[in-house]
Amino acid sequence: MSDAPTAARPQPGMAAGALARVAVLPVGLALRVLDPPMRWLQRAIGVRRMAYVFLLPNFAFFGLFVFLPIGINIVFSVTGGTALFPSERPYVGAEQFAYLFDCGSYLDPSSCREDHFWRGVANTTKFVVFQVTAMVLFSLITALVLNMKIRGRGFFRAVYFFPVLLSPVVVALIWKWILQRDGLLNAAITTLGGQKILFFVDPGWAMFWAVFVSVWAHMGFYTLILLAGLQAIPADLYEAAEMDATPRWRVLTRITLPLLWPNMIVVIVLALIKGAQTFDEVFVLTGGGPGTATLMVVQYIYETGFASQVQNFGLAAAASVVLGLVLFVLTLLQFAAARRKEI
Amino acid sequence: MAELKLTGARKSFANIDVLHGIDLAVKDGEFVVFVGPSGCGKSTLLRVIAGLENVTSGEVLIDGERVTHLPASERGLAMVFQSYALYPHMSVAKNMAFALENMGLKPAEIQARVARAAAMLRLTDYLDRKPKALSGGQRQRVAIGRAIVRDPKIFLFDEPLSNLDAELRVATRKELAALHAKLGGTMIYVTHDQVEAMTLADRIVVLNAGRIEQVGTPLELYNRPSNAFVAGFIGSPRMNFLPAVVTSDDGTLRLTVGERELELPRTASGLVAGARVTLGIRPEHIDVASDTGMLGATVDLVEQLGGEAFIYASAPGLPQITLRQDGQSQFHRGDAIAIRFAADHLHIFDATTGAALARP
Repeated sequence: MSDAPTAARPQPGMAAGALARVAVLPVGLALRVLDPPMRWLQRAIGVRRMAYVFLLPNFAFFGLFVFLPIGINIVFSVTGGTALFPSERPYVGAEQFAYLFDCGSYLDPSSCREDHFWRGVANTTKFVVFQVTAMVLFSLITALVLNMKIRGRGFFRAVYFFPVLLSPVVVALIWKWILQRDGLLNAAITTLGGQKILFFVDPGWAMFWAVFVSVWAHMGFYTLILLAGLQAIPADLYEAAEMDATPRWRVLTRITLPLLWPNMIVVIVLALIKGAQTFDEVFVLTGGGPGTATLMVVQYIYETGFASQVQNFGLAAAASVVLGLVLFVLTLLQFAAARRKEI
Repeated sequence: MAELKLTGARKSFANIDVLHGIDLAVKDGEFVVFVGPSGCGKSTLLRVIAGLENVTSGEVLIDGERVTHLPASERGLAMVFQSYALYPHMSVAKNMAFALENMGLKPAEIQARVARAAAMLRLTDYLDRKPKALSGGQRQRVAIGRAIVRDPKIFLFDEPLSNLDAELRVATRKELAALHAKLGGTMIYVTHDQVEAMTLADRIVVLNAGRIEQVGTPLELYNRPSNAFVAGFIGSPRMNFLPAVVTSDDGTLRLTVGERELELPRTASGLVAGARVTLGIRPEHIDVASDTGMLGATVDLVEQLGGEAFIYASAPGLPQITLRQDGQSQFHRGDAIAIRFAADHLHIFDATTGAALARP
């Protein structure tokens, strides 16, 4: 009799099991319903063609939300006018591209007809160069430190990855509160007896913080890639290097970095692609200003297509196609880098 | 070339003692093999010598100089790893030259040393290849070459043949023996394979649970093991261990083994009637007797190897007994046989501690 209450008490494992059974119930039901028609289909078209049937939902989804918009974008880039529907837009050939590329000198945006586009290109290029350099450098240093046997390693790994989980808008808002005229940083500076710095008024500071915030927000992701690469280097290579009386600096330059190089390439190319696409963080942080000092290509596309009074879909689409081509080349680079990963 | 001395070397990881005070002296030019089962601490002992692990207490001396707290890089030793640990992005030549570059040698000297080692190890044609383009045996030779070029005080080998297939293992084993004969350096070699230990070593150190069980030449360990562990570990197939009871010891030792009484024309100190002992006898020291007066047994299994055969037989009240026969056996499973122990090759061990009480 004394065993009865114990036996009646629900066990945690039992509860989880019951929950799992309930959770898979719809799946089981769906499988039972789908089974007869799928069997019929397989008999009708053969086993080999069934692969395409299973791929079809993904193709449909991908086609609808990726390939179709790309197609529409290309159509918009070769048509003119302000109409939204492609059928109502007159064909203009490469006119939009010619307009975009009409420049006295490509090194001087003010000599271009569409100077904002070229300012965006120049700013994005500057941003990408600084951001990718800083990103690779700081990710590498962080990964090297986090790969050491330091106290609280797990905690620090989580801390460095945490900003990656935040929305870019949230990241930009946090830093805006810190950096604005009456923000935290200026409060700290004035407390220490300094003068307020108008970070978003000075073009140099604005670009610096745009790069800084971007590196802060995304560094965790690249650190993780490099950390995985570092952990894939067999420990006995370091022991062999120790037996070979290798100085620490030489271990880094002759063993760690060459073996980490495939991961570094992936990080560089991914950071390049992400950098070229930068929009939301910088837009919320600086609004592209002061003036056009931090205006990026994607912001130009957004403003030309949607935010200006005259919505120039054609020009925005042409700029998108140009950016898309650059990203396509960078993606090919990434694929090539990934394929070269094997030493 | 150098001497090595360990005194009271202890190693603990967290609260787990892995080495319990190792005392050992390795002579200049000696080939010493550490052998023991998995987890006995042999690799840890090698790493302590290398400087890749610090001792918890005790001393490590090389040529009389205390190196206990010197890092691996300053001990002047070379190690060949089980996994080869070749730098995958460097060519064979670069792998071998790397340590020499660290030493600051001139390029001409480096090139000469690499060429000499490559010729010795038949690697000259592979100097420009990367490790991934080499076979397992070639990689192992590169690892050995990397050690040779440095002309180290002591060569350390951590199970260097365990990743090779059986045929290559035998071939590389012979090459290693020849290399030791040619170089004459002090070599310390870790293995769990007692055949490697027997064939390569000048002296074998048998380790068990972080302690040295016995140190001696291969044949000393084989013929006169100091305890049942060493007796069982050295020799393949392993020695037979049979429980026995001393019935009398009055100049002639009488023992009950299974259902039979055995008479040994010798005595052992400290044995009194009624004492429980373990009788040890190697498979080659058991004959199939022609008379039926000996221990009766039934054949369980016969392994015919062509040049020799192993018979596994059961006798009432005893664990399975292994016999070795030269040539090919005529016995089959289920045959009744009588077996005879060669009395002058019988070992008697304490049934509790395993210590040898009487040796041939």
